[in-house]
Amino acid sequence: MTQEIKTVPFTYEALSQLEMKEGILELQIGPAHAGSGHMRILAWVEGDTVVKVDPDVGFVHRGVEKLSEDRLYIKAIPMVERPSLVDTVNANLGYVIALERLLGLEPPPRAQYIRVITAEISRIMSHLYGIAIYGIFMGSSTVFMWAVADREPFIDLLQELTGARITYSHIIPGGVRWDLPKGFADKVEVALRYLENRMKDYEKVWINNPVVVARSAGVGKLGAEDAIRLGVVGPNLRASGVKYDVRKNDPYAAYADFDFEVPTFKEGDSYSRLLIRVEEIKQSMSIIRQALKRLPEGKVIYEDYYKRMSPLMKEIYDKTGRVKFTLMLTSLSPPKGEAISRVEGGRGEMFYYLVSDGGKNPYRFRLVTPSFRNLPYFTHVMPGHKLADIPVIYGSIDYFPPEADR
Amino acid sequence: MMSFLYFIPNSWLPLLESAFYALIFPGFIAILLLAFFIIWFERKAAARVQMRYGPLWVSKRTGGIIQLLADMIRFSFQEFIVPQGADFIPFVFLPGLLLAFSVLPTVFIPIGPDYSRIFPSNYTLLLAVAFTLVIPVYLVVLGWAADNKFSFIGALREAYLLISYEVPFILAITSAFLLYGTLDLVKIVGIQESTLPGIMLNPIAAIVYVIAVIRATGRVPYDIVEADSELVFGPYTEYSSLMFGFVMGVPYIELYSYSLLFSVLFLSGWAPATGIGFLGGLILPGIVTFVKSVIVMCFLVFLRAVYPRYKLDKAVKAGWSWVFYLALIALFLSAVVSRILW
Amino acid sequence: MLSNEQLEGLGKLLADKAKVAYNARSNLIRIDVQPEALKEVALRLRDYGFDHCSSVTAVDYPKENRMEIVWHLSSYSKPELSRYTAGLVASVSRDKPEVASLVSVWEGVIFLERETHEMFGVNFVGHPDQRPLLLPEELMGIWPLRKDYQLKKRREDLFKKGGAAS
Repeated sequence: MTQEIKTVPFTYEALSQLEMKEGILELQIGPAHAGSGHMRILAWVEGDTVVKVDPDVGFVHRGVEKLSEDRLYIKAIPMVERPSLVDTVNANLGYVIALERLLGLEPPPRAQYIRVITAEISRIMSHLYGIAIYGIFMGSSTVFMWAVADREPFIDLLQELTGARITYSHIIPGGVRWDLPKGFADKVEVALRYLENRMKDYEKVWINNPVVVARSAGVGKLGAEDAIRLGVVGPNLRASGVKYDVRKNDPYAAYADFDFEVPTFKEGDSYSRLLIRVEEIKQSMSIIRQALKRLPEGKVIYEDYYKRMSPLMKEIYDKTGRVKFTLMLTSLSPPKGEAISRVEGGRGEMFYYLVSDGGKNPYRFRLVTPSFRNLPYFTHVMPGHKLADIPVIYGSIDYFPPEADR
Repeated sequence: MMSFLYFIPNSWLPLLESAFYALIFPGFIAILLLAFFIIWFERKAAARVQMRYGPLWVSKRTGGIIQLLADMIRFSFQEFIVPQGADFIPFVFLPGLLLAFSVLPTVFIPIGPDYSRIFPSNYTLLLAVAFTLVIPVYLVVLGWAADNKFSFIGALREAYLLISYEVPFILAITSAFLLYGTLDLVKIVGIQESTLPGIMLNPIAAIVYVIAVIRATGRVPYDIVEADSELVFGPYTEYSSLMFGFVMGVPYIELYSYSLLFSVLFLSGWAPATGIGFLGGLILPGIVTFVKSVIVMCFLVFLRAVYPRYKLDKAVKAGWSWVFYLALIALFLSAVVSRILW
Repeated sequence: MLSNEQLEGLGKLLADKAKVAYNARSNLIRIDVQPEALKEVALRLRDYGFDHCSSVTAVDYPKENRMEIVWHLSSYSKPELSRYTAGLVASVSRDKPEVASLVSVWEGVIFLERETHEMFGVNFVGHPDQRPLLLPEELMGIWPLRKDYQLKKRREDLFKKGGAAS
């Protein structure tokens, strides 16, 4: 009735037996390598075929989970958003949603819409970065420079909103910190139109490039059942044919109000992982436009917190739309309990689990990032391919070591 | 200005002429300056495509053209490290040998109609091609001499690619030989001057030649041997300091030899200019040939901004399948066209 | 929100082996199970539709001398279940934290359990590869995420003693 999965034990004895077999070369694609990022890939290669891969991660492990136990809830926000460095709004959002579930409050609708807009802009930036890394691992610096430069209009947008370029700490329990400035909607429209024009260039030079298709079609194939069995997440999962997106399956923060599709591809190879990121960028643009059109009026901070603001803070809020922290926010003590939250980051599902014992610091904070969930690609998908496919598969799954190591 | 020539004994003139050609104009100094220019051009052209400046600050008014000189000065201050397990003599001295063999084909390739005074031979095409074919073997030795697994893999890749793309290259040269009926490059340019440039007589041979050149010099999309994201720099991984600048520049000099051969074989060499000019009637035709080969080099070097890298097994397969078939078609085409011509 | 029928269905599925509770505010189903019955319950949950294990972690309660190992489950393939997260909780004693590995049920937990092992010292019996993943070899045995490894105190000691690591 119930069937268990057989796994092959990975012991040092088995590995040394492998090495005794002649013709197997152990390659350390180590941290100081152009094609490895902040990790070491130990690859055993027989001729040109990869036999076994062992990802040696943990080079940028900062201990976010342990550090959060020494910090106030609100002070943990900048720390929590920093592992996923190119996709910070979604990281921020997940933690705050978990915290709000512990506190038992809901932010006002205008704050929810602003959260969605910034989260989708962050998703576009994350996908552009994923396309850039994919290009540079294949040897083309052109698409890397283009994609990283095309993030600039969006960085400028969010800089105008929050004052920071990459890590905004914009979302706080109860709402957001800054209301949208005047003329923001027009600026967003300009940036989106710029990106739509650039997408045409990408299609001509990169997506329809015969070398790209030759290099990535059929490489790193993962079927739907295997993807579910290995527990991978994000665009990689959708490129393998599984229609799973947390924004649709378990909606949070006003995503239930919007009308968007979740694209999937059947093949599950590196080329479809590239195509799905392009499709998701288009869907994100549609969501941003819908949100800006239907933006509700009101406050961007929870009513109870607004009431506790001093008259000077209320005046600053009414004039500039900036929320200053009251004493209540800085000394949050949620009641005893536990809460989880899941958000769909640019790379996949981010999972947060907060346990509170009534004190000012979290008792236990668990963060699982999508890159960590995508690690099975190294051990289960890479073997059997050629050595030159390692960077292609690595770049296509958009693995980001600081995010995986936290 | 020519009056000083009266004071030099007559027997010295040929020697001076050879020295001039060897050291200055299509020789050593010209090739060095060309290496500067082409590396600058590659970086600048790629930068323009990629929405950035490229070399700019080194000499702002000229757009950073002496960037390579600045790089060389920087390299000369680094320590030259020889790995402990490396084979000392090949590791240190092979790059010099590589440079020598990259430049050597240019001795045989004529730059003007009077070149047979400098190098009298009926077989210049054969000699030029023979010397270009030796270079990849040194690369394989270099990859083994450095005590590094990535260099080793790079050397193996070079061996695979060398074997699979040498045959189409030889076939392209053979089709050119078949087309013109002679191995003397001066006569070949003469034939092109009287009929059509080689690229119109046998375009397929030109295409196959270009593909083989892109492979031989390691231009993108064929920089498989020095694949940046897979093998740190291929056989050249362990070099530091001036040797690093050296091995980075040697492929460009190889590229110059191949492009010079291409412009003489297929672009009718010095065609518009004939034997006018001083110093024996070789300067003006020489400049024309030089400019043509520089244009070919600029095109080949620009591919870096467009394509990513090929995969080894697909490249080897292509070398034995469609590139090979194209070369056979070129041979056949040559036979047909030469029958029409003569 | 989880309907009563669904909750009852789940309760009936695991009637004898586990205790099911539902927290509507955080939308979290909590399934408490004894460590002996862990694999059986996990297999039943997987066949019921919970084929997505998002996280494996442990929560340390030194005052009660126990550790709670929790697997958070959801569903990829069943949309009606994917709205909810179920926490499969097994309580073990802190002196010898040992629990069956669920790699043979969901293969994706292979890295998650490895991380929990190196951070808390939990021995997952049957895990094919329990080497340290994120931490260096020297920190094995210290189990940093347990409550008795106090980061703030170590930092303060560092400054008090004038630079010498304690």
